[in-house]
Amino acid sequence: MPHTLRAYPSLFRVAWTTMFQYRAEMLIWAAWGFVHPLVALAVWSAAAHGRTIVGLGRADFAAYFLTLMIFSHLTMSWDAFEFSYLVQSGRLSPKLLRPIHPIHEAIAYNIAYKLITLLLLVPVWLLILWALHPNAATRAWHLAAVVPVLLLGAAVRFLWNYCIALVAFWTTKVDAINSLYWSFDQFLGGRLAPMALMPAFVQTAAWFAPFRSMVVFPVEVALGQLNGRQILEGLAMQLVWLVLGYGLFRLLWRLGIRQYSAVGA
Amino acid sequence: MARPQPISTGSGETQIVVRGLRKQYRVPRKRAGLLASVGSLFWRQHKIVRAVDGIDFTVAPGEVVGFLGPNGAGKTTTLKVLSGLLYPTSGEVSVLGHTPWRRQRAFLRSIALVMGQRSQLQWDIPAIDSFTLCRTIYDVPERQYRETLDELVDLLDLRDLLTKPVRQLSLGERMKCELAASLLHRPSVLFLDEPTLGVDVTMQGRIRRFIAEHNARTGATVLLTSHYMADVVALCDRIIVIHHGHLLYDGGLAAMTAQLAPFKTIRVDLEPGTVADSPDLWHAYGDVVDAQNGKVSIRVPKAAAAGIVARILSDLPIADLTVEDPPIEEVIDLVFQNGDRADPPPGVEAPQD
Repeated sequence: MPHTLRAYPSLFRVAWTTMFQYRAEMLIWAAWGFVHPLVALAVWSAAAHGRTIVGLGRADFAAYFLTLMIFSHLTMSWDAFEFSYLVQSGRLSPKLLRPIHPIHEAIAYNIAYKLITLLLLVPVWLLILWALHPNAATRAWHLAAVVPVLLLGAAVRFLWNYCIALVAFWTTKVDAINSLYWSFDQFLGGRLAPMALMPAFVQTAAWFAPFRSMVVFPVEVALGQLNGRQILEGLAMQLVWLVLGYGLFRLLWRLGIRQYSAVGA
Repeated sequence: MARPQPISTGSGETQIVVRGLRKQYRVPRKRAGLLASVGSLFWRQHKIVRAVDGIDFTVAPGEVVGFLGPNGAGKTTTLKVLSGLLYPTSGEVSVLGHTPWRRQRAFLRSIALVMGQRSQLQWDIPAIDSFTLCRTIYDVPERQYRETLDELVDLLDLRDLLTKPVRQLSLGERMKCELAASLLHRPSVLFLDEPTLGVDVTMQGRIRRFIAEHNARTGATVLLTSHYMADVVALCDRIIVIHHGHLLYDGGLAAMTAQLAPFKTIRVDLEPGTVADSPDLWHAYGDVVDAQNGKVSIRVPKAAAAGIVARILSDLPIADLTVEDPPIEEVIDLVFQNGDRADPPPGVEAPQD
């Protein structure tokens, strides 16, 4: 493990050098993250029309979707697309023959991208926060709790996305299954509406899927919507999904790599 | 870097041992046309392709071995199994004492696979940045890295290429950088899949010379596949011929011609003024390859060559006569044509171990 960690600074450097080659694309991707939450916010604000829905008013929706926007960006993962390209083009082959697991390169790129885009996004986020006057019951200890919760959320989201990516070992392309996964994420991950607005069965189902642990739970912690016990329960669920995701990753990797036929390479 | 100990197989020092290697692929069988495509949604036929069908060989440290075979013969598959990219269907493989497809760190640090343009190099950034990444990934000590890099930059003439983004390099330039990236960690076994594919003749020669020098200097074992006979002739003391997944020949280049070519070429210069270069006349002696201007070449069965030479000398006014082995390309062509049959062609002996 120490030699793997020693490679990370170099991996970051390569990632940043590559990203700066495509500055415009990087910015467009980062901006793309604004669109969905802002549209959802506009829809729900219009629906609330100066009143409240299930106790939530415009300022509550603003707090929810703005935090969701920020946390979505911080936990974002795109390996399902990336990895199937690597398998399809044969570019995975040289990566498999290096004495470092290809997942480390993916992790380094993921972190590198977020660090570099933060420089740009933080001022924009602050501007939007100032403009929309969100309403949240956040205390200092919520903000302290949100750090580990958000890191775990990012890890869970990354691992499960990587598991979807590994399906490419069998199917070469994963676009269809990725879209299906994305739809579940929309529905059970609180992207369309705060979980409080969802029917009871959806809320229950969300507990038994990994999506809640990824983004919604950290958002709820940050907004001060959960008490100490609920936060501990959520943390436990995150750990469960992390362990399950890791186990699934190990299993899929072991089976998939036997399947790998080094196409095109 | 300490070299891994070669494993002992009882028959002297070996670095690579391959026994009964088989690799099958299950590929969907699809007929042309839309209807067939729709049909394949519901009912998909598969066929088994035996890319490598039971081959055995061993390689000693420092050897340069060339794999020859037409497209689809199984040579690249063999190389991929040996380097750890593919799991074999059955058989045993040991490289430097490791089972390649377990891809242990110690194994991966002592080998390199160069596959045409499939790259160690990051496309969008200068090669030197990829080299630095290789240094940290392979955990190469800074000083050793500097030395190796300087050496490679000199030998491959890379100085002006290092700081250009890789995507702006020509095919040949990229291949040189690719080779350098693969050698920075000083692998003791180097697998080269078509190292000169797509580069011009000058660059081919340069890459060949570099590989030969590298082998001589470092003692690294080199296994390479190539379509170009010239690569193999220039570099390899030993040839392994694979066809339809079978090993057809394993041995020296010179011996291959003698062993595999069941014929010889007789070249005759007729006495000036003799009109005896009509092909019809020469058909009695053998297959006419060329007959004009008093010069005739015929191809005859190897065993009958001596008798035919005697007959020609007594029948005709001959100024000069030579008996030659056929050119290596012809031999290879012949082997591949005959290899299409189930049995080895006549004159092909059982593979040497």
